[in-house]
Amino acid sequence: MSTKTETPVKKKNQKKIQCFWSWVIGSVILRLIIIYFPKNLNLSSRPEVSTPLTSIRRLAEGYWLKQSSMSPYAGSMYHGSPLLLTLLGPLTVKRIEGQPDHLLCSLVFVIADVVTAMLICAAGKKLQAAYSSSLQSIGLHHLSEDSDILPSGDFAALLYLWNPFTIVACVGLSTSAIENLMVVVTLYGACARLAPLAAFGWVMATHLSLYPAILIIPVILLFGYGPDAPPRKLFRQRTNLEVDDSASGDRSCLEDELVNEKRMLNVFSWRPVVLFLFWALLWSSYVLVLCGIYVQQHSGLQEMFKSTYGFILTIQDLSPNIGVFWYFFAEVFDFFRSFFLIVFHGNILLMILPLALRLNHRPCFLAFVYIVLSSMLKSYPSVGDSALYLGLLGLFAYELKDMQFSFFLFSGYVGVSLLSPVMHNLWIWRGTGNANFYFATAIGYACLQIILVVESVSAMLNHDRMITKLTTAKLQNVKS
Amino acid sequence: MHTNNWAVLVCTSRFWFNYRHMANTLSLYRTVKRLGIPDERIILMLADDMACNARNKYPAQVFNNENHRLNLYGDNVEVDYRGYEVNVENFMRVLTGRHENAVPRSKRLLSDEGSHILLYMTGHGGDEFLKFQDSEELQSHDLADVVKQMKEKHRFKELLIMVDTCQASTLFSQLHSPGVLAIGSSMKGQNSYSHHLDPDVGVSVVDRFTFYTLAFFERLNIYDNASLSSLFNSYNPNLLMSTAYYRMDLYQRHLEEVPVTNFFGSVMETIHTDSAYRSQSNKKFGGPEIKMPLDQSISDNDRRILRNSVDEDQPNKLSTEENFHGVGQLWNTIISKVNTFESADTFVCYGLGSMVPLLIISVWLSS
Repeated sequence: MSTKTETPVKKKNQKKIQCFWSWVIGSVILRLIIIYFPKNLNLSSRPEVSTPLTSIRRLAEGYWLKQSSMSPYAGSMYHGSPLLLTLLGPLTVKRIEGQPDHLLCSLVFVIADVVTAMLICAAGKKLQAAYSSSLQSIGLHHLSEDSDILPSGDFAALLYLWNPFTIVACVGLSTSAIENLMVVVTLYGACARLAPLAAFGWVMATHLSLYPAILIIPVILLFGYGPDAPPRKLFRQRTNLEVDDSASGDRSCLEDELVNEKRMLNVFSWRPVVLFLFWALLWSSYVLVLCGIYVQQHSGLQEMFKSTYGFILTIQDLSPNIGVFWYFFAEVFDFFRSFFLIVFHGNILLMILPLALRLNHRPCFLAFVYIVLSSMLKSYPSVGDSALYLGLLGLFAYELKDMQFSFFLFSGYVGVSLLSPVMHNLWIWRGTGNANFYFATAIGYACLQIILVVESVSAMLNHDRMITKLTTAKLQNVKS
Repeated sequence: MHTNNWAVLVCTSRFWFNYRHMANTLSLYRTVKRLGIPDERIILMLADDMACNARNKYPAQVFNNENHRLNLYGDNVEVDYRGYEVNVENFMRVLTGRHENAVPRSKRLLSDEGSHILLYMTGHGGDEFLKFQDSEELQSHDLADVVKQMKEKHRFKELLIMVDTCQASTLFSQLHSPGVLAIGSSMKGQNSYSHHLDPDVGVSVVDRFTFYTLAFFERLNIYDNASLSSLFNSYNPNLLMSTAYYRMDLYQRHLEEVPVTNFFGSVMETIHTDSAYRSQSNKKFGGPEIKMPLDQSISDNDRRILRNSVDEDQPNKLSTEENFHGVGQLWNTIISKVNTFESADTFVCYGLGSMVPLLIISVWLSS
């Protein structure tokens, strides 16, 4: 009898998996269709897609400079990592007859996207398992039953793959696909408690673009406390109750109890954190040695840091993009330039600590908030950055399902992504508009991102409050 | 080091009967261009226009021989100073480089401390002077002062002054700057004569000194390395009807070793390197093999020794701190190991590729 009830469930699961994989393959086919599109869509020259940090043309220029025995950072064209040059440089030069340009690079980015989606899916599974067990331990079984449609990991993976921003960034040959991959590798490694993997991802993500350095805090919290869980005080209440009851109850498995005990004791386990830091040190020295060898013939590591991190921090290139800094720094006086640079970069740094204090029981969501903040306030944002956080938003779809203004945000994103190229065309190509037209869409985009992050944090906190209310209600019921 | 060649060719006489001075200057212009100096490094000053003169039977053509074999005023003659612009003030401004702001670059002598300059002047001259435009004179101590200023401002490495006038060698009698070589067509008390009359054009078309100079150069091409002494010895006083006197007390090098293309052409030494160009910072790691010409090898060895001693100072400074000493040694051993590879790029490629299996192994071990 049991087998008969199991097979429909198994069949359903198999159907779900088949459906999931067919959607993944469909997204890959869509990307290949757009790559092979006969008309030149010119996506890689749009300012929304390619910035001075992620443009493939600048990478090709840097590679050509290196082949001509000059420093790849000469002439201030290329501002990325030397390791990307080693990986993608030869691919930009290879031309296959009859195929579109940069085909091999496009394939690399498609593969990067698919691997990112798989890792998001796996991280989502880990998060979901940990969250349901933690919910069970505080007695809220009914909340852990997920919707029948799709688990959150799969949903997030498909959201990442089918997001138009991701597709445009992949086909437009922006290297943000690889940066997103490294960030997701970090998150997955931290969720699965694999210190070498997380350290590798964090070191590579920081090396490629400076801003993922702030993800060290959620990663340390993930290693110390474990994946997302309801607020810790609820576990303490539960412990007190169990001590009072002294009833054995039904034990699921020993491991679970140990983990829950740890949570109930609110112990921050230092051993995984130290291991993570050790591996981070190892990987960063390895990367630095490789880069040093690569650039020692021409200039040295100092020039490399000046051209990559220095360029990101001092915002030397003021060509328009979808961020807000270019417009501001085009008109600020030189005397105040460093002051405003400190203010804008400090804006990100100042928000780290309060968010970490408030959301330390949900490190993965904290990482998501940090990613939204850095995508919004970084020097050269592009749609590849928003592709990452929109994909990660799907991981928390269940907790954030009561988010306010969701329809407004959705239509806002659609509107901005349609208007921004139009305003750019009006300004640059037709000359009937000016910079304010384009900057207006950039400001609108920044406002949408602010609304998104504020509403998602408040929705998550509301969810926590709801859980607290239910738990205390349940405890009171049990008590009385 | 000798890096570029310049030529300043001045014809100072006007009027139709001074056709030969124009032809002298244009012949030398043609020679100097043929042997390699480009127009941007030639300052040509012609005091009058013979080619389009109303009395020229062959309009837009200037000949230096009655056989009319060569038209000196061809398609690509660039005259920088023409007509009344050729005066003593402009001549001195060109040589010293002290111009008004509005003077364009094509009219400036933009030489530096590696330049060899040929200064050729022709016209009517006398004892210690050269006549400009029939109304002014350039005196010999004016010329000496100008050359002294040029030397002080490092505007030349070597200067060859060639003068074709009557009593030409008196013009450079007051020179005292080192690095100057001067030759004049006649000595004090002698006249310089024209070579022959062209009955068709109606005037004398070339002077003897310049004629024999051109005869010497027409045998040469850009690859010959005839020396200056052979040029100076080719002047026969009987044929010139004057004594060509040259002054080499201010010039350190031996005339047998100096090729004429050092002044009259532009033939640079090419230094062959075996590999692609590398920046200066790589010198201490063994740059490419450089084959240097013999006469320059000593000075460059000195330079290399100096550079090496400067480089050796740097690690000494670092060794005072023990921490950096260890890291520096480690770095040097890594670099020396890397240099055994064909190129650093393949090493970095292998390093990048080996990151992936390392990652997989470490993840498998820790899970």
